[in-house]
Amino acid sequence: MKKNNMVAMILAGGRGSRLFDLTKKVAKPAVHFGGKYRIIDFALSNCANSHISTVGVLVQYESILLSSYSARSSTWGLDSKGGGVYVLSPREKDETGLGLYNGTADAIYQNLDFLDQEEAEYVLVLSGDHIYKMNYEKMLQKHIESKAEATIAVIEVPKKEASRFGIMNTDSTDRIVEFEEKPKEPKSNLASMGVYIFNYRTLRRYLREDAKNSESAHDFGKNVIPAYLNDGLKLQAYRFKGYWKDVGTIDSLWEANMDLLKDNSGLDLFDPSWKIYTDDASATPQCIGSKAKLNNAFITQGAVINGEVNHSVIFSGTRIEEGAKVTESVIMNDAVVGKNAKLTRCLVADGIRIPEGMVLGKKNSDEILLVSKALIAKAGENHE
Amino acid sequence: MSKVLGLLNFEPSYVYVKGIEDFRPISAASILGRYRVIDFMLSNFTNSGIDSIKVYIKNRPRSIVEHITRTSYNINSKRGKIHLLHGENNFGNNELFNVDIQAFKTYMEFVDIENSSYVVIAPSHFIFKQDFSEMLNYHIVSKNDITILYQKANDTDQNYLMGDILSLDENKRVTKFHKNRGKYKNGNVSLETYIMPTLTFKQLVEEAAATSSLYSLSDIIADSAKVLKIGAYQHHGFCACISTLKAYYDANMQIKKEKEMLKLINEDWPIYTMTNDSCPTLYKPSAKVNGSIVANGCQIEGTVINSVIGRNVIIKEGAVVKDSVIMPDTLIDKNVKLECAVVDRLSIITHIKDLKGTKEEPIYIKRGDRI
Repeated sequence: MKKNNMVAMILAGGRGSRLFDLTKKVAKPAVHFGGKYRIIDFALSNCANSHISTVGVLVQYESILLSSYSARSSTWGLDSKGGGVYVLSPREKDETGLGLYNGTADAIYQNLDFLDQEEAEYVLVLSGDHIYKMNYEKMLQKHIESKAEATIAVIEVPKKEASRFGIMNTDSTDRIVEFEEKPKEPKSNLASMGVYIFNYRTLRRYLREDAKNSESAHDFGKNVIPAYLNDGLKLQAYRFKGYWKDVGTIDSLWEANMDLLKDNSGLDLFDPSWKIYTDDASATPQCIGSKAKLNNAFITQGAVINGEVNHSVIFSGTRIEEGAKVTESVIMNDAVVGKNAKLTRCLVADGIRIPEGMVLGKKNSDEILLVSKALIAKAGENHE
Repeated sequence: MSKVLGLLNFEPSYVYVKGIEDFRPISAASILGRYRVIDFMLSNFTNSGIDSIKVYIKNRPRSIVEHITRTSYNINSKRGKIHLLHGENNFGNNELFNVDIQAFKTYMEFVDIENSSYVVIAPSHFIFKQDFSEMLNYHIVSKNDITILYQKANDTDQNYLMGDILSLDENKRVTKFHKNRGKYKNGNVSLETYIMPTLTFKQLVEEAAATSSLYSLSDIIADSAKVLKIGAYQHHGFCACISTLKAYYDANMQIKKEKEMLKLINEDWPIYTMTNDSCPTLYKPSAKVNGSIVANGCQIEGTVINSVIGRNVIIKEGAVVKDSVIMPDTLIDKNVKLECAVVDRLSIITHIKDLKGTKEEPIYIKRGDRI
């Protein structure tokens, strides 16, 4: 049943260069997370659970895997008639020829024909690289009630961290009066979550204007939102309470995984009423061997554990061999931790084989060690 | 290749898995935490390239229908099909069909429609891995009328009771069928898996129906040993006939060993099942787990030793689960001690703190029980 005429557009084209080797051949939204998921599963499942039936996924950087993955709409139950997941990559057009997406606003602008065709009344703009559970239907309701032209979801962040975010300054009714991108001296602690609802007709007009402006960076935060504010349009903040994390760096990706080990992180993946859907791996159940030792672990099917796992998240198809010790680490899909190897505060990329006895990472280190192919090769040389 | 049709038979009357079967046919019972018994045989079919399959259902179709219709067994969604065939208009009877011949005869038109050259008939209460395309090649090369899959077993005094034991000649042709009454330890056990031309199958069904209403397919095949060339094809590796509660328990315990499991289920031979979209399992700091297999969606605070834990199971602090099979969606509360138990789905164990069976006779906790 089509419950609202809001079309979701997930921005999933960025490279995510601060994830280094993890995004060498895979776009950030397709990076694995939390044992069995990919990062984009959160945005897509939120859409499905919010009764949104049409979702556009805007891809650009290394998009083969991300496109084929997103296109399987049935994974998230987004396969009802009249809806679906549309993978929108840059395309050659009749009048303009081939152009890559040049900024977040440009990506939506280049797909106005798609939104026209879907007869969208509201457009929900999302990022494909955030971990959170959110009911967009409730946000739409608020948006409609407030009669705003656009509503921006915000979350309270600690004051001292506020300068890392786009900060919304609001009046007493939560109307946005000012937007500051990464302010040195933040006036409020309401950070934009990169979740926007726009009335489509107005957005359409502003995007067409923005496209004509050769000086614009074609960015929602830098250009479109300020243009709305300049013209005195009503922009409303929607306060979100709950877990939300941008996983753009190795450290934050590691942290978000570690949050899954906590009882009260605010992200409840066990809640049956708001499941996060993902591709079903035809893997065996988890095999916890007779010599295994587990001390706080989040483990998914297809993993075989014969060693010791402390405060770690273990992804599908991994093997932790006998005598190996994994502490405060994230072991991604199909990685193998060889016998007696010791990993502390590491994030091991997909498919990496840690040789027998190798020791990586340090207790109490400030930075999380990304264990990639290159690192293993280098560590092997030093070993010899 | 000539077209091959897969027929998944229902369990014969000698199968009775105490407790579990009161709620569903054994083929729909949960096994190894995340599968149903039937997944193994259906995956045998599809992994062998057979994607037209008829599933005959004797009684209580609900759980099987729900499971199969929501599982993709990697069958081409347009050209392949799993057809569910259960009796209709039989209200008041406990069973929709009594013997398999009745079901085969009733629904022969659905076999005809496929225009297949061969049928592979497989049982739904067995677990083993078998490439049927290799068996079919053997069938064709050896010019048999019927080929039966068998296993050389050394525990026929304990298992496979009331199944068929085959006497074979030097050419691996079956000379005689015996009912296994547990007298001998060693024997060639029929795995109730047959390959034959579709035409032969149809003739046998007609013949059996004309003989007696109690006749089953295995009866009529046994009768035909003198007139037809019945060959035997040996199966190697793990095999379980789930005909009793102990056999069900043993199968779980045997497959849960890593080496055994990876022989039965691996990348080259995936076992398909329904996804539940459960998140991974959380082992809290107080959890102690070893020698076990665990499905996704569990929250474990207690101790789990040498057990099989189904999906979405909660095991609270201080609880000890040992040598047990816990089916999905159950709760084992604080300080409950379980040993050699089979706990059926959706049950909650909270008041009774000590439940102990033996490996010979595991204790069974009913589906949905709150004790």
